[in-house]
Amino acid sequence: MAEATFEERFVEADGVRVRYLEAGEGPPLVVLHGAGGLRLGGAHHLLAARRRVIAIEIPGFGAPLAAPPASMPELALTVAAAVDRLRLGRFDLMGHSFGGKLALWLAVERPEALQALVLVAPAAVRPPGRPPLPEDPEQLHRLLHAHPERQPMAPPPDPPLAARRRELVARLIGPPREPALEARLPALELPVLVLFGTEDRVVPPEMGRVYRSLIPNCHLVFVFDAGHLPDAERPEAVAALVDDFLERQQGFLVRRRSGLVHP
Amino acid sequence: MKAALFSSVPYLGEAPATWPVPADAYSAEVAMTSMQLALELFQLADELGFDWVTVAEHHYAPLSLTPNPAVMAGALTQCVRRARIALLGPTLPILNPVRVAEEVAMLDTLSGGRVIAGMLRGTSNEYVTYDVNPAESRARFEEALQLIVRAWTEPEPFGWLGRYYEYRSVSIWPRPVQRPHPPIYMSASSPEAGEFAARRRLGVGFAFTTVPLAAEAVGHYRREAARAGWEPDEDQVLYRVAAHLAETDEQALQDLEARGSRPSYSRSNRAIDDASAGAGYYGRDTERQRSRLQRHGLRERIELGQLLAGSPDTVLAQARAIHQVLRPGVLEVVFEPVGREQTLRAVELFGTRVLPRLREL
Repeated sequence: MAEATFEERFVEADGVRVRYLEAGEGPPLVVLHGAGGLRLGGAHHLLAARRRVIAIEIPGFGAPLAAPPASMPELALTVAAAVDRLRLGRFDLMGHSFGGKLALWLAVERPEALQALVLVAPAAVRPPGRPPLPEDPEQLHRLLHAHPERQPMAPPPDPPLAARRRELVARLIGPPREPALEARLPALELPVLVLFGTEDRVVPPEMGRVYRSLIPNCHLVFVFDAGHLPDAERPEAVAALVDDFLERQQGFLVRRRSGLVHP
Repeated sequence: MKAALFSSVPYLGEAPATWPVPADAYSAEVAMTSMQLALELFQLADELGFDWVTVAEHHYAPLSLTPNPAVMAGALTQCVRRARIALLGPTLPILNPVRVAEEVAMLDTLSGGRVIAGMLRGTSNEYVTYDVNPAESRARFEEALQLIVRAWTEPEPFGWLGRYYEYRSVSIWPRPVQRPHPPIYMSASSPEAGEFAARRRLGVGFAFTTVPLAAEAVGHYRREAARAGWEPDEDQVLYRVAAHLAETDEQALQDLEARGSRPSYSRSNRAIDDASAGAGYYGRDTERQRSRLQRHGLRERIELGQLLAGSPDTVLAQARAIHQVLRPGVLEVVFEPVGREQTLRAVELFGTRVLPRLREL
């Protein structure tokens, strides 16, 4: 799979101008970022070789909003309205961390809009009593990655923007366990793939089992030797797995890779 | 200090000192007798109060008739009543890690929670057996071990997206009896292995080495553990030593001399060892790792702490000297195959006259 070039675009929804990055052709895959703002990992570039990847900047994470969203379900509906305007038809949805929880809200509110759901280190279930993420960019970089020395450090955002994002996340993220969301998961019929890095120090990978136990058609996969951003640390592996899952859904359990050594 | 009895379940007949060893000299009768004697030794050790009995994996040579130690351990669950049963161990890089997790969980269930899970990387020739590149053995080992622990502890079915292993759904039955899982040991003769064991809070074992080399390695492991913020239990350090006991020192040495020296199968094929070394198998102190496998004479082996030999009093003094330097919680003894009756007698002497006094250490 070759590298794709993403282009910046905008779409209006609920009176909000939503920014997004797009690359590739094929079945549409909408991507929702984590608490740090719009970010593309190596896996997203690889996925764009076979899919139309649309990475949305969640409203409030970029330009300031006149009326900030009051709740996660409301924000999820705004994102859904923006995607509706793109006339994609049913689409695949991939959410990271904070964006994973948002994607899960979108899935329970608008299941008919989705084909399949991929949650990467989702933050909808967290252990109690965790401190908020560190503000210092270097400290954060070390916390996010299993191998921080192998990853380029993202340029830190302007302090006022970073502060606004932190305030938004703190206000919307909700409690470590959210009964209102979890009560709806047993009725979710979509195929769901949950990925966790084995070295995730932001959301422990053991949280993955909760999704597996609540969602009827849920597959949990551990990404070895990755931290909170497996799409960045193991891009080829994550892209290949997500691509196979989106193509074949639960059929992805049966491998098609040949074991033939020599013909 | 605890004591373990280890047997590689050697083939007790004649065979050439090469690797792999051709089977033209092989006798099924000798092999059956060899296995029966090993089972007898394990049972005797259990009756005498040894804390563990230990089996290991080696291939293609009369050094060991247990290419799958889990099969032997399965037999031991039925005839060893009290002692823990240690696998030291499955050779992870050449095996299917999910299968290893399943086998150990089965054994833990069959034995009522008595299994010790040693996980080893294998000797330099072992990769030829199942066609694996030795250059990748350390990375395979580290990943396989994490996958095995996950298979033992994760309650929901899960997939594994590794570098060397990929599974779309893992959910093993039976599960280990011991919670969260059986104690894990690994070899830590190389600095890399000591660092990994310290990071993962695993027990370590030292075999095919000398007391001075093991002292450096165990020091490195304990320092690395301290750096990682923990202190290993006494039981988390094991030292393996060969032994022969008789009523007198003279008799013991005479038995050993009459037997002559054993071939060293793992490195007897120089071309394979050189190719593995060239592939980076030995890690960052290759020369030292290769030198610890050097062959020594009887007296030298005793001096280097590779062999306990003599009367029970002499052997106790030798074991105390090892304990003073390494402070292992487990002394694992390999009784020299000097003949059926002499070996059984040696185990008995150790069990009745050395073991009770080792407990005080």
